[in-house]
Amino acid sequence: MKELKILYLYPDMLELYGDYGNIQVLKYRLQKRGFNCIVDRYSIGDEKPDFKSYDIIFAGGGADNEQSILSEDLVQYKEEIKEAENEGVFFLLICGAYQLFGKYYKGVEGNIIPGLEIFPYYTEAIADRKKRCIGNIVLNVNLNGQETKVIGFENHGGQTYDIPTPFGKVLFGNGNKFGDTEEGFFKENVIATYLHGPLLSKNPELTDYIIKHCLDRKYQEDTLLEPLNDAFENLCRKQLLARFLNIDR
Amino acid sequence: MKNFFIVCAMKILNIALKLFGKHGGNFLGKIAFDWNPEIFQYFKVNCPVIAVTATNGKTMTNNAIGYVFQTAEKKVISNKEGNNMETGILSTLLKSCTLTGKIKADYLVFEVDEGYVPVVFKDFPLDTLVVLDFFRDQLDRNGEVESLILKINDFLKTYTGNLVLNNDDPNVARLGKANPDNPNVYYFHVDRYPYATDNMKEAGEGKFCPFCKTRLEYEYYQYSHIGKFVCPNCGYGNNEIYKETQNINLNEMTFEIDDVLYKIKSNSIYIIYNFTAVISCCSLYHIDTKYMQEALSKFELNNGRLEKLVIKDTPTVINLAKNPTGSNVSLRLLNEDDDEKELLFVLNDNKADGFDVSWIWDINFDNLNNVKRIVTAGTRGYDIAIRIKTAGFDENKIEAYLDLEQAVKALYTNTTKKYVIANYTSLQPTRTEILKLK
Repeated sequence: MKELKILYLYPDMLELYGDYGNIQVLKYRLQKRGFNCIVDRYSIGDEKPDFKSYDIIFAGGGADNEQSILSEDLVQYKEEIKEAENEGVFFLLICGAYQLFGKYYKGVEGNIIPGLEIFPYYTEAIADRKKRCIGNIVLNVNLNGQETKVIGFENHGGQTYDIPTPFGKVLFGNGNKFGDTEEGFFKENVIATYLHGPLLSKNPELTDYIIKHCLDRKYQEDTLLEPLNDAFENLCRKQLLARFLNIDR
Repeated sequence: MKNFFIVCAMKILNIALKLFGKHGGNFLGKIAFDWNPEIFQYFKVNCPVIAVTATNGKTMTNNAIGYVFQTAEKKVISNKEGNNMETGILSTLLKSCTLTGKIKADYLVFEVDEGYVPVVFKDFPLDTLVVLDFFRDQLDRNGEVESLILKINDFLKTYTGNLVLNNDDPNVARLGKANPDNPNVYYFHVDRYPYATDNMKEAGEGKFCPFCKTRLEYEYYQYSHIGKFVCPNCGYGNNEIYKETQNINLNEMTFEIDDVLYKIKSNSIYIIYNFTAVISCCSLYHIDTKYMQEALSKFELNNGRLEKLVIKDTPTVINLAKNPTGSNVSLRLLNEDDDEKELLFVLNDNKADGFDVSWIWDINFDNLNNVKRIVTAGTRGYDIAIRIKTAGFDENKIEAYLDLEQAVKALYTNTTKKYVIANYTSLQPTRTEILKLK
């Protein structure tokens, strides 16, 4: 049986905004089609994982306190993670994890939390602690030439700069910074974004894009994904896009 | 003189409101507080003031404490309707004080929003503070739990009154160390209940020691991160226990504290925690246990907090759930019941609910026990349907509606037992729709 292996980083620390739902959605859509899905977890104190042996590496957003504890732990694997990324392992990084994979995060007091420096962007906290980009958000995303709308929820104080290839264009909401036109960071094998929701829960097209990309890479073929019953997802998208964009998809 | 004038004005306004059949809510307090933010100093209180705060369980615990005192024939003034910010508490005080600001009662009992404890009790005496639990709750409105806890912790640094703390919540028990010079810290604990687990079953917060950052070790989890824990490094958690609940019997709906048997009207572990707090608090005022036994044997809230109803010959339980833990506690009750049942889940995303509904992914919908059908509704009725489907529940047995009336009608097309979970702004509309069918 064909399978995808997912590494879930810091499940007990980066788990504040329901981001684990992304793994549940991936697993659900794989299993419904008869593929196997293995989820391994790594957190502080566990044995060093073999990053390259995974198809997808996932990390979510956490509380500030937890994030500062784990960044020290994560940095020790910098080289291994870089290597896995170069070899084409897919990275799905949400919110805090998105920031951690950049150059650095500069806190309100000017303190620098070093990032993994795998990607060229950096993040700075906004001086006013009470100001955060919070709310529903809709992006226009191009997946292999196919335009699709991605719906999520953003909740971040950090403002992320210097992004060469954003994940999507903002149709509703803020994005990488207050009032930005762009959101996230995108590469063939990387989606790094502020979107919670969880991201994949209302965006089946995006989920299937990731699944297909990873199966194609692993089995060196053009995988055909059979369609699933997305009735609830479609109703939900129709309702929310109408509400946020005042359009009827 | 200014305060005297404000109180007079508010008294007149209150009479006027009553004449027009209006209840007032936070209104009087809001006007008075805007007029003079220091007005709390004006009140002359000669009785103990008790406050209850938590993420979940404030209203129930507050009302149960008041009910125990009343059963013991004491006069109680309390914000029973749940207006728990500074303006709500001020409204309650303004309605019950004399023109000179005297408050005549044996006890003042208030539920206070987690964020408002330092605001309300800056200028107002506090005799006992009861803290039940801290959970993630409407993150887009409240922010992270940690910042709320730190605010209360700061307030407690100079507080020397009674502090009643849940020793099974690492985020609550830590408050006992805020002021090392306060000798009046009392911890309560609930012994392992039959459905406690060795591993965490639902999303929770208490993973690391707040003092030395070591991963906490749990002997068992009752629900979420509530359970018996200790820090293997610094020993945090090993506190002397003031009241301990033992011998929980869910079938008989009984438990024991200090060898006294309490029979209650519910079999929820969550309510048993609330009542353990009630008994701890009332014991500090030497209330005879016979009054506690009597009061708790009768106490029910009946406002959609684990409310039991019979609708068209169909047993129905309605529970408010505005965060993951509230929902998980409701689902625990559902899963502990082997009868065949159906579930209605209503999810709104109005301002008071928080706009972010990601938290539904922290609800544990795995392996639901004998659930035949699930109906969803609310402004985010489709989101919750997707969530439940992804947990593995047969998508053909889920019906999703945006319209509440339609959903409730669809729910009551048979007499299978119903469990209803509704979030903040959806609770009363859901209750109203259901009661229409009665």
